[in-house]
Amino acid sequence: MLPLTSLGKSGFFPVFIMASFGLTLLAGLLGTVLPSLDYLPVIGHTRFSWSPWQEFLSYPGIFSSIRVTLISGITASASAVGLSVFWACCAHGSRTWRLFEKALSPLLSIPHAAFAIGFGFLIAPSGWLVRMVSPGITGFSSPPDWILLNDPYGLSLAAALVIKEIPFLVMVMISAMGQLDMEKTLLAGRALGYKKEQIWLKILIPRLYPHIRLSVFAVIAYSFSVVDMALILGPGSPPALAVQILKWFNDPDLSLKLVAACGSLFLFALVGAGIGAAFLMEKILGFFLAPWVVNGRRRSILTRLKPLFLLPGLGIMGITGAATLLLVIWSFARQWQFPEVLPASWSLKFWTTGLVSCFYPFVTTLLTGMAAALLGLVLTIGCLEHGAGAKRKGTRNLNTPVFYFLYLPLLVPQISFMAGIQLVLVVVNLDGSWITLLWSHLIFVLPYLFMVLQTTYLSYDQRFWDQALLLKRSYFPALFRIKLPMLVRPVLFSFAIGFSVSVAQYIPTMVVGAGRFSTLTTEAVSMASGSDRRALAVYALLQQALPMIIYALALITPKILYYNRKGMQV
Amino acid sequence: MKQMLLGVYFVLLSCSPALGAEWEDIVAAAAGQTVYFNAWGGSQPVNAYIEWAAERVQEKYKVRVVHVKVTDIGDVVSRVLIEKSAGKDTGGSVDLMWLNGENFKAMKENNLLYGPFSRKLPHYALADIKNKKNLLYDFTVPVDNLESPWGAAQLVFLYDSKRVPEHPQSMGDLLAFAEKNQGKFTYPAIPEFHGTTFIKQALMELIEDPEVLNHPMIASDFDAHTRPLWDFLDRLHPRLWRNGKVFPDSASRMFSLLNDGEIHISLSFNPNAAANAVENGELPPTVRTYVHASGTIGNAHFVAIPFNSSAREGAMVFADFLLTPLAQAKKADPKIWGDPTVLDIQRLSPEDGALFDALPRSPATLAPEDLGRVLPEPHVSWVQALEKAWLKKYNQ
Repeated sequence: MLPLTSLGKSGFFPVFIMASFGLTLLAGLLGTVLPSLDYLPVIGHTRFSWSPWQEFLSYPGIFSSIRVTLISGITASASAVGLSVFWACCAHGSRTWRLFEKALSPLLSIPHAAFAIGFGFLIAPSGWLVRMVSPGITGFSSPPDWILLNDPYGLSLAAALVIKEIPFLVMVMISAMGQLDMEKTLLAGRALGYKKEQIWLKILIPRLYPHIRLSVFAVIAYSFSVVDMALILGPGSPPALAVQILKWFNDPDLSLKLVAACGSLFLFALVGAGIGAAFLMEKILGFFLAPWVVNGRRRSILTRLKPLFLLPGLGIMGITGAATLLLVIWSFARQWQFPEVLPASWSLKFWTTGLVSCFYPFVTTLLTGMAAALLGLVLTIGCLEHGAGAKRKGTRNLNTPVFYFLYLPLLVPQISFMAGIQLVLVVVNLDGSWITLLWSHLIFVLPYLFMVLQTTYLSYDQRFWDQALLLKRSYFPALFRIKLPMLVRPVLFSFAIGFSVSVAQYIPTMVVGAGRFSTLTTEAVSMASGSDRRALAVYALLQQALPMIIYALALITPKILYYNRKGMQV
Repeated sequence: MKQMLLGVYFVLLSCSPALGAEWEDIVAAAAGQTVYFNAWGGSQPVNAYIEWAAERVQEKYKVRVVHVKVTDIGDVVSRVLIEKSAGKDTGGSVDLMWLNGENFKAMKENNLLYGPFSRKLPHYALADIKNKKNLLYDFTVPVDNLESPWGAAQLVFLYDSKRVPEHPQSMGDLLAFAEKNQGKFTYPAIPEFHGTTFIKQALMELIEDPEVLNHPMIASDFDAHTRPLWDFLDRLHPRLWRNGKVFPDSASRMFSLLNDGEIHISLSFNPNAAANAVENGELPPTVRTYVHASGTIGNAHFVAIPFNSSAREGAMVFADFLLTPLAQAKKADPKIWGDPTVLDIQRLSPEDGALFDALPRSPATLAPEDLGRVLPEPHVSWVQALEKAWLKKYNQ
């Protein structure tokens, strides 16, 4: 036991993560920076110059692409954060909120691309909503020529992003709420005559925000660099910058890879600026709103707006539910034309074909996801234990720098980052092996595990730990017999999050796996490049089902384990 | 079936003993190999066909073929390129890939392809290289046996006969249709290759002297020659779906739009696409196919072996199987896929020819004789210039 114990305490985990992530990042970054400076020997570019940047900046439509990314990215992240905050203020404790909490797992487990397809089919001019009232009310026998989807400003994309991101932010908020003495604060606030939503906005949110800050940054990065949803809902020509980068990468004109590298760095800078702006905004709001927090007024406009802010939760559940239902209908459809509300004929063919061809991808997805989430948990808990130990003893906490290493992969556009990593892997002959595939998933799984587990874990009551050590006398029994069982709920939940992040990985799976490993996601994405919505619906639903099952297990297991422990009930 | 295949081999082997001996060695070396076939995976019928072919070569030659389903073969070109830059000259991750056009050009120019293998394939002898020039010139780039033909393609238009009583016969007609039916036609944004083909087709029909398109483009004349095209597009775009402000990103997406009734005319490179899509319910049974009176652009699609393939022999065996009359006839069946054959049917044995005669005809598609004249691709130098000019004008 001793070596292992010292392993945890000596900061092995943080150092391991920093070293390995650092190397990976360096590879990814070099693979991007060098081509952006005109250095890519294999296509004959060996002299450094700025010409890729010139080409990037003069590429037709590039500024429209940047504009789309800015508009949709800013709209999506600002609305997601704003709506989550106001919604929590107004709805927390209500019946809608409790319903939303129950719906969180399915909401989170829906892959972005699958949701985008369902959402697109819901709101398109030929979509379900228009069909419901056609031709009866509208008189449309063929769909109207409205720009509802793929609009040149990326607003439909932003809307879909908001719907996908709010549940994520709410989840992070809920996991952070455990850290605040909510009940006491609310009670004290009420006793002083404040309305609940005021207590939330003035006291709870400012204390909650530091816990969700990193998640907000992740939301910003995601909104700016999303590819799969932007392909489906974003504008086509010119597309959002992230999509344009992907197009350059895949263009038969190989010299465009240099331009793609510039685009990636530019997008990276945009993400950095977005995060900087959010940080600045936080400080500015904190400064200017401080007087408002203590102005003592008991009346608030929020009280009157309260019913309005109940809508987002209901809307998200309604829209996501409808989008999923549409996928289910499509998966059983044979022929379905405008303006029919339901398919004219049905077929089981797509399910039978899909289920047969999905067996191996299913196994690969399950094993890789499990392994990535498990390994991620070990690393995360190892790091957090180190952090807890450092806090206890007042020694140096190595976790602070770890975060920077962890979050960078989320901020760099995946495609270019992965191209750099691929080069290194091919050189050392490690591409196409399952271990490297697992590693590539871990890079994206780990930050989310940290994000979800960190606050809960670090605020574990020190007195329990002291008791545990007294009872068990040594570190590991105390950890495994007392501390982790007490934290089983957040640990399992973060496992489920990690699993679903692994399931969603497309680019790492294709690039690092060298096409050797097909997963439910690679199958679904390749189907999405075709025209058959029925087959696609089957794959999208299969892709969605697996994480959902894992989420459900993560929620049910603690209830079964601790059905007879009152203190462990939620 | 097996006997028939053997018969073909016997005939071929007896004509050229040298070839036969070399091929026997290849077949022997192929046994036990695993071929990673990187091919677009967006269509269930195509995937099912590849799976069927893979099972056949597994049975017959003990070659295991794994279909790596990609969304864009450009990904794979990148991967091979990266392997080359890393000095991985053997044991590459891609053994065979499905490609044509600009991706082939890029691979050929960067020496990413294994040598001239197609002439080693016994069934290549049956390919219709005499009449189909585009089996020798892939988008005007000489194939040089670096890829083996798989299927023939020709630009066709699909329309819903319920909503379009009389289909256009030319680009001029198409403009008239668009003017009468606001928003009911569109084409994929350049540089998606269906989109690029559409503007190439338009240029061929509108240019004063089509002959210049067969020669390398001269930059100083580009504007003058292409003026009629831009005038046409300037008039067409406001009449397109979403007023030409939004373009779909692929021809696949246009199928969904056609099914939804958002557009009434779509396009495809597979003359039998409509039959297959109607057959499996993806498009309404009222969908029909047409070509322009002056002919439409035709080309072919191929399979090629990257320079560092780790299973060349297996890849060749699979490429050869794809050229057998059995495999080609099955592929041409609209119920299976409907992709036209590259074989010269006249030269097949009566039994093999019967496979093609037995193929069902669908009212949704044109009979081969009604497909009209197949126009050659314009010289490859025009393509990039056209794409650049289009992006500059309309990608804002």
